[in-house]
Amino acid sequence: MNEKIGVYVCECGPNIPDRIDIDKVLAEVSVIDGVKTAKKFGLLCSPDGKNFLEEDIKKEELTHAVIAACSPRDHEQTFMTVAVKAGLNPYLTQLVNIREQCAWIYSDKQEATRMAIKSIRAGISRVKHHLSLTKKELEMNPDVLVIGGGVAGVEACLSLAGTGRRIYLVEKAEELGGTVSKLGALIPHQGTAVDLFGEKIDRVRAQDDIEVITGHDVTSARGFLGNFEIEIEPQGDSSEIRNLQVGAVVIATGFGLLSSEHLDTNNGEKNPNIVSALEFESMLAQNAVVGKDGKPPRSVALIHCVGRAELGYCSKVCCLYMIKYAHHLKSMDASTKVTSFYTDLCLPDKSDQAYYDEAVKQGIRFLRSDAPSIQSAEGQVTVEYSTGGGKSASEKFDLVVLAPAMVPGEDTARLADMFNLPLDDTGFFKEIHMMLDPVATPIEGVFVTGCAMGPRNIPETITQSQAAAGKILGSLIPGRKLEPEVKVSEVRADFCTGCQTCLTVCFYAAISFDESRGISVVNEAICRGCGSCVGSCPSGAIRAKHFTYPQIYREVLEILS
Amino acid sequence: MKEKGKPATQDISPKNSFMSASYPAGDGFAKAIRAVLTKALDDQVFEAVMMPLKVPKTEAFAWTLLDDTKLLEHASPLPPVMTIQGGKALSELTKHGELIERTAVLLRPCETRAAVELFKLKQINLENITLISIDCPGAVPLSDYLSDPENQARKFQDLMEENGDEDALRPVCRICDKFSIPAPAEGGMEEGGHAADVHIGFLGQKGKRLLLFPLTEKGRTLVEGLGLKAESPENSWETAVQTMTDARRKNRQAFNKDFLSRISGPDPFSEMFDACINCHNCMRACPICYCQQCYYDSEAIRLPSENYLERAKKRGGLRFPLDTLLFHLGRMSHMVLSCVSCGACEDACPASIPVGQIFSLVGDQTQSSFEYVPGINRLQPLPLQAFREDEFCEVEIPCECGEGQAPSEVNKNA
Repeated sequence: MNEKIGVYVCECGPNIPDRIDIDKVLAEVSVIDGVKTAKKFGLLCSPDGKNFLEEDIKKEELTHAVIAACSPRDHEQTFMTVAVKAGLNPYLTQLVNIREQCAWIYSDKQEATRMAIKSIRAGISRVKHHLSLTKKELEMNPDVLVIGGGVAGVEACLSLAGTGRRIYLVEKAEELGGTVSKLGALIPHQGTAVDLFGEKIDRVRAQDDIEVITGHDVTSARGFLGNFEIEIEPQGDSSEIRNLQVGAVVIATGFGLLSSEHLDTNNGEKNPNIVSALEFESMLAQNAVVGKDGKPPRSVALIHCVGRAELGYCSKVCCLYMIKYAHHLKSMDASTKVTSFYTDLCLPDKSDQAYYDEAVKQGIRFLRSDAPSIQSAEGQVTVEYSTGGGKSASEKFDLVVLAPAMVPGEDTARLADMFNLPLDDTGFFKEIHMMLDPVATPIEGVFVTGCAMGPRNIPETITQSQAAAGKILGSLIPGRKLEPEVKVSEVRADFCTGCQTCLTVCFYAAISFDESRGISVVNEAICRGCGSCVGSCPSGAIRAKHFTYPQIYREVLEILS
Repeated sequence: MKEKGKPATQDISPKNSFMSASYPAGDGFAKAIRAVLTKALDDQVFEAVMMPLKVPKTEAFAWTLLDDTKLLEHASPLPPVMTIQGGKALSELTKHGELIERTAVLLRPCETRAAVELFKLKQINLENITLISIDCPGAVPLSDYLSDPENQARKFQDLMEENGDEDALRPVCRICDKFSIPAPAEGGMEEGGHAADVHIGFLGQKGKRLLLFPLTEKGRTLVEGLGLKAESPENSWETAVQTMTDARRKNRQAFNKDFLSRISGPDPFSEMFDACINCHNCMRACPICYCQQCYYDSEAIRLPSENYLERAKKRGGLRFPLDTLLFHLGRMSHMVLSCVSCGACEDACPASIPVGQIFSLVGDQTQSSFEYVPGINRLQPLPLQAFREDEFCEVEIPCECGEGQAPSEVNKNA
């Protein structure tokens, strides 16, 4: 027992002396085995207090320090910093809370003093078993992984390019572009041609610091801000796993569309006169807007809000593109009868109302109806719709275009699970706060942008991607260092039998199995020190630094004695 | 715990009829097994065998890994006693990597189940191993055997011939209902889930034949490699097994009820361990106890003498060796979910404590809370390592699935 423990009781102003007999405390603790000195001070966290502490630790050549004062939440860090200055390993200190947990809860001075002494005794017993721990420093990796090569992903890449970091753009399809590249045309006041987007893709490919990896899936992710370890592999081929190390991740995996099979397919046969929006876009792109008979349609029904009532949300972009279709149809042949059936009309942006008014002026009919029903027979399609007051009417059309609801992309659930991201009721990724923090997720370093988060139009997606990039640029500065958690778990190799129980309970995937040695190994950079593994090991081979059995046991033993 | 989360079985047959191939055993059970194994080694169906051999000129049995068919002359596939638990022996063999030669291992059903639990705990590597289990009438207590081997061997032989006295068996054997193929009660086992690759049955056959039941792909390879075809169920065996299972199940239920009443409560329970000398032999004999160093042998439970003095003063006296009950309760909390009721612990206890019976009882009760039966399904994960979201219902109020307690009810009971 050659410890030299210093015990310092802080008066915390009037807080503690009012309720605790400090001199009695000092008298009692100074005779405990191992205690070299026990002193009091007015306000240890003040500049004078910190100086005093530093000087005294050096003067008394202390090996450990126990400070009895306020809550560790307030000043544990403060006193640990003083210890470092005094040449004492900061983990050889213990802050005992005799303010909130003593002075402020006992009204009887004798009781409070007794409890203070007990708490300090416990702190002394504990600190005798503390070990020097070393803080590590990791370089924060400034590189970024962008998952998804559509509008959202491409914009994020361009906003991050040229800032001294490497960007990996991983896209599961063989081509970049996502859904927007499948569009025949953009909404006029949002952009004049899809080619604009093509230019952005070209720029991404031309950038030296962006590596485009197509045809690949992201299959696993571990880590945290500044230190992610990602595995990607070619679609369906696990033999070619590639590891990426990045500091942040932007998820831009887009959306899916509600299947319209229940409306456009009868007995397994798809009716070519009933098309979904994407099919119509490709007709536009190929300049081939025709019906089953190969001729341009003379009458077209545009059915908005397909799936809206069932899913419970508006997909925001459909009304605009339906008006776009209406304009296109009229411009190809002004005599075409175009009718829009909508449940609600969504015209949020500055120029949208005027666009709509234009359409009305051109003779495009807009009829309000809840869920019109569609029946296809030979040739024409019958649309039955409500006209209000419980009455309904029906009309025949050569071509029916459906606007299906936007739904979460097929990778959303899998990625949410992989990155521990929450989804909201609709199944889209959930942002921290819809109004106040719309691109960040609860997982630091992981951002979601674009339609992966919910229905968005292109300008909104671009904005979000730029915002996510901005956040990354502000936090992942090349050269900035990361200090991983010090109080992590460690496996004592001699005692581990390799049963891998700890591995199965680790929430952070911080434990891996070393085949050659037959033991489990903790990745100290990823471990968060939660201690689940410690609880799961029957032999005690894995233990938590700074929360070892002797440390906790001795502390508790004093409290209970 | 809720029903949800149980793996669906793939077998659609309503009744669990096992197909077997027949092998003549007119010259005796052990001889027939030796013949099968010799043929298999000669025909290179596998390259090595691990099984108990009778040590010549003594009454002892030894687990042996062999590839020499001559040694098979001493083979004792079902010794009257269980010396080392077969699962433990196997884990010593394959702890550090897979066997590179195909090896057959002959085990009692409880040893097979222990091997499966050890497999789940990554202490046994089953690559290139064919597990062969055998119908088991039980085993006689080790101490009885050692004091009178000839008589005990005869009593065991009577039991093998199905006209012996079960009182000669160890207490845990008398209540064992998993002495044959332990398929799940509803019938049907998932592909790849069976504990053994092949099972050898002899119950109900009046010593005339052995029945070889292939249960997995490896098992089928072995049986076909012997030139046999498993194409018919054997009614006489199924009836014999069912009758014995029913009887043993009744015994077990009666035992659990009776024994529970005898050890319920802190005093009766601790009195059970009055004679315990804390030698930890039960832990050493237990196949499931796999730790390099038992927690209760480690520094963690050693305290300075002042602590002991203080405890003695508080209670008026302190008994040594210390922390006996803590050891048993601790060992229970660490391994009882995998306890296969093999009774190795009870045979190993020098103080004749019914520790096997105690752990069997606690095992039954705790395993059923997790709907877990150790060792019968290789694909059923260990409860500690399996996360089932529906289990949150028990602690998370209100729970997501809607079947947990309503907050108002919880407050009522608080």
